[in-house]
Formats: sequence, structure tokens, C-alpha cells
Amino acid sequence: VKRRSVIAVVGAAGVTLVAGLYRFTDLFVKHYPPTPYDDLLTRLIDRDQAIKLGRRMTDHFDVGQQAARLRATFASQDLTTAIQADIAAGRLIEMDGWVMPDTLARLSALAAKTTTART
Amino acid sequence: LTALIDARTLPDGQVLTPDLVIIGGGPAGITLAMALADTKLKVLLLESGGTNFDPRVQALYAGEQSSYVALDAGRLRTLGGGTNHWGGWCRPMDEMDFEAKPWLPYSGWPFSRKALEPYYPRAQALVEAGPWIYDQKGDAMTASEGSVLPLGQGGLYTSWFQFSKMRGSVLPTQFGHRYEADLKACANLTPLLHANVTAIRLSHDARKVERLDVATLTGKHFTVTPRWAVLASGGMENARLLLASNDVMKTGVGNQNDLVGRFFADNPVPRDVATLVSFAGPLAPFYGSNQTLDDGAIMRATFAPTATFCRNAKVLGSLSTVEQAEELDQTGKAAVITTAIALGVDASKARAYSLGCGIELAPDPDRRLVLTGEKDALGLPRLKLNMRIADADFDRYRRTLVEMGRQLLASRTGMLRIEKRTREDWLRDWGHHHLGTTRMHTDPKQGVVDADGLVHGLANLYVAGSSVFPSYSASNPTMNLIALTLRLADHLKKVTA
Repeated sequence: VKRRSVIAVVGAAGVTLVAGLYRFTDLFVKHYPPTPYDDLLTRLIDRDQAIKLGRRMTDHFDVGQQAARLRATFASQDLTTAIQADIAAGRLIEMDGWVMPDTLARLSALAAKTTTART
Repeated sequence: LTALIDARTLPDGQVLTPDLVIIGGGPAGITLAMALADTKLKVLLLESGGTNFDPRVQALYAGEQSSYVALDAGRLRTLGGGTNHWGGWCRPMDEMDFEAKPWLPYSGWPFSRKALEPYYPRAQALVEAGPWIYDQKGDAMTASEGSVLPLGQGGLYTSWFQFSKMRGSVLPTQFGHRYEADLKACANLTPLLHANVTAIRLSHDARKVERLDVATLTGKHFTVTPRWAVLASGGMENARLLLASNDVMKTGVGNQNDLVGRFFADNPVPRDVATLVSFAGPLAPFYGSNQTLDDGAIMRATFAPTATFCRNAKVLGSLSTVEQAEELDQTGKAAVITTAIALGVDASKARAYSLGCGIELAPDPDRRLVLTGEKDALGLPRLKLNMRIADADFDRYRRTLVEMGRQLLASRTGMLRIEKRTREDWLRDWGHHHLGTTRMHTDPKQGVVDADGLVHGLANLYVAGSSVFPSYSASNPTMNLIALTLRLADHLKKVTA
């Protein structure tokens, strides 16, 4: 067996292993069961923390309506822009007393309603 | 030197005839006595207590109350009055505090802050709070200690308290002890201790004060017949003495329009009202504790609403102070991480702090002192305080906190959690600032005293102290009432000349 072939096989195995760990474990990235709202929830970089926060949303929360509202919000802007617009306009929600931008609070609540935290 | 005279040693039945009598030896009374030292007036200062605490004297304060601390708990009946237990917090009232607010009934003073400004430097000197720094130079003077928290554009800003100079490690300036020698040095002043005014006797036409009945707890009685009298007994006793002196005016002196004792106010000072998170790490030390500058000034930062925010959002004064560092719970950590990531801010060094506050209440005529049928050891009817606070008072402060939370997010410097939920949460601590019971107004139907402190309808009875504040501010009243008393002294110098 040529030395070059050994290196190629070992390398390919390594890449496959890393790809497998990435895809099928939470070692590099946390994986959540698919939801109909992943287009929204992928905007949350740390979804587990958002879920913990979102559980404290006490207002009535209709998942379908809120998702539609969030999609409308994100049709023309990203999350950062949206929450800065909320802050400037005073669109704020108290979650467990925390004064939060409206969009971020609703997105966190959506995560809590539709996903199970991995931690 | 004149001595402090113990009224218990005077012959029974004596008649004293000063030009001007000051009833009460607290900060207002002592300030006024010293301010009149350069006049030819023969001044008599009557203080109910002695130079030290006496429980029998203190018991004269006892009364009834609802939803408030015991009436003999938040004040001290000794020479120096409330300064014997004050915290030394000083801050001038804001211009906005003097304004009549169209949305707030009974608000506004008969003059602007400009009327007090000439007297603030002297008041600052009397409370020994060092050079005048406050908001004019506070940020710059404390720059070596750290930076103020950037709040950006919005409703709140970092404002500054200064403190009455600490003596050793114990207490701020106590007027009785600090100025005892000065009182003794006033050649025109007779300071009389253990002298309790039990009645203000008016002329038959109810136009002027003719005499005061005075008694000691040892059973001595004597009379004072002054040309002018100044009532400076504190926010509760001023009203009590006026209401109880009802032989000529049946509803009480100055109470022809049923205003004496109404509009009582205090500053609620609830703790742990909110949690403030600073994303960048620890706040500058002047937020959480008093800092002594090189020039001796003692300063502490506070968060105050701007005049523009107060006007637009229809909120009143409040001063929120950082109390202590605290640990966040799991939800708190989640809120900080989620928000910081979304804002694109590194919050790995974030620190959390609890906030306390002092709140201004709206004037309320039904928050009032009335006399009861029970009498004290000198025969004076005791007081009952009907305390109440509107939900709107707390709602206004909550709106202020929400705005602060919004500003922290807007400036990407932190975030805020509002901790108080129920009404009872807010009602645990008081500033013991007794305000408003002989309110000042140019219209006799809306105030007990006029803009000079003269009781409406009377020629020679004035009221000094925070009982004349028609609306209240969140700033602690002591230095402000001293400035107002110095203004009264100037007025008295003119009218008695």
C-alpha cells in the first residue's frame, strides 16, 4: 500500500468523522428537531438561551399568528435591524421583568413554544 | 456666649416678649435663627427637646397612621430635629419640580427655581456638602474614578448627589450639635430648650398672632408675645399646632379653606426595584457607593429623568441608585446572552446590580393629617395620618424604568429587569420626608401660606420647612428647605426693618 493512499484514506476518514460529529451530534452545533418555523428560529444563535427566556412569555401567544408576524418583520430586515427599530420606537415587552425588544421577545417565545432545549 | 436655656428652670407664668419667635429647633429653625443673627431683632428659639434624645419628649409625637410608619418613628424631637438621623443626601430640586404641570392637579410652586438659587450656596455650606458640583461638573469631577454609564439619547441621565460631610465614620452634619456654639454666639438670640408650644393664640379678629402658650413636661407654663412668629416644627407638627389652635378660628389657624394637614407627602424609597446589567463589566464605583473627591466633596451618581421626558411622558421625579452587585438567575443569564448576541455585543464580562430609588408622589388632598380625640402629655390632640398612594404614582415610576431599560438597549450598554410586581412590594420603605401639609400658594383657596411663607389671612405668622412644599420633587428635602428658609430670612429682614 502506498503511503499516499494511507494518508488519503485516513484524511477522508477524519473528514467523514468530523462531518458526522457536526451533523449527528451537538459537539459543534446544537441540532433541534425540525419545526415549521426554522426559517425564523435559525436567527437565534443560541437557541437554548432564547428558549429559557421565551418560557417566561406570559402574554397570550398564538404560534401561527406570531410566526406570520415575525416573517413579515424579517421580510425586509434582519434581526439586528428589527430589534434596533423596536428599541427606537419603544416597542418593548417585559419578560419576567426583563425589558426586551418586541421582536426578540416574540422570537424567543416562539422558540420556547416549538422547540425543546438541548441543555 | 449665650447659654442654651432649659425652660424647666424658668419661673412659672413668665411672659417673654421677643420681636420674633421661632417654634422648632430643627434645620429650618436653626438656619433661620442664625440667618437673623445680624439683625437687631430680639429672637427667641423654642425647642421642645433638649440636646439629647429623651423618650418622654419623643412620645409627644405618637399618633395613629395607616399604611405608614409610626408617627414617632421617622422624626426626632431634639435640638437639630431630623438632622439627628438624616443620611446627608443633598441634591437641589430641578427646575421642573417647580413647574405647574397641566396634566397634574395641584402641581407647581408660586416661583421658579431661580428664586432659590441665590440661597443654595449658603444652604450647601450649612449642610457642609463641600463645593457645589452636582450635575454642572459631576461627570468631569469624577472622571478619574471612572466613566458614567453611556445612556445615549433618551429620558434618563446620570445625575449627582452630594453628601453632608461625615463626622468621623458616623453621621452627617447634625444641626443641633454642629451649630450649638453658633446659636450660643448669636447675641440677639435666646435658645430655649424643653419649651413646647401648646397653642397659637390669635387676636379676636383673627388677623394676627397675639401670644403663644408654652409648657414644659415638668408642669411649667409661660407665655410668649411676639411681634412675628415662625412655625418651624416639621411637616407633621406644623399642621398639628395650627389645627389644634382653634379657639378663635374654629377649624384651626390658617385653616379657613380646610387645607391644613392635607397634601401630606413623603418619598417612597423602595429597594430592589430593578436589576441593571452592564454588558461591559463593573460600573464605575461612584454608582454604588459614596466617593470622596480630592476637594472633600462626597459624591454618588444616580439616574434621574430629564425635564423633557417628564413633560412628554407625564412622569414625576425619581432618583434611582445602584445598591449592590447581584447574581443573575438562569432566566436573567438567558436574557443577557440572548439580547447581547442579538445586539452584537460582548457580554462575557456583564455585571448585574440591584437598584433602589426615591419617588416623587403626586399631590393628593386626601392624604392628610387630622387631629384625634386622644391627647399627649401636654394636652395637645394627637395626629392621625390617612396615608394612601395612587397606583398612578407607581405606574409613573415604572414607565421611567422602562425608558431606562430602553436607553440601555439603544446604547447597547446593558439591560434592565423590573423587579416589583405588587403594590405591597413598593410600600416598604419611606424617606421620612414630611412634606406639603401647609402648602404654599398665592391663592388662599389653594394654599395655607403665600409665596413668602406667610399664613394667608394673618399678618405675623410664617411657616418654614418642607411642610410648605406644594409639590415635592424626588430630591431629598433638607438642603432645599434650608435654602427656602434662608429666603424667608431675607424676607423677614425686610418686613421687620
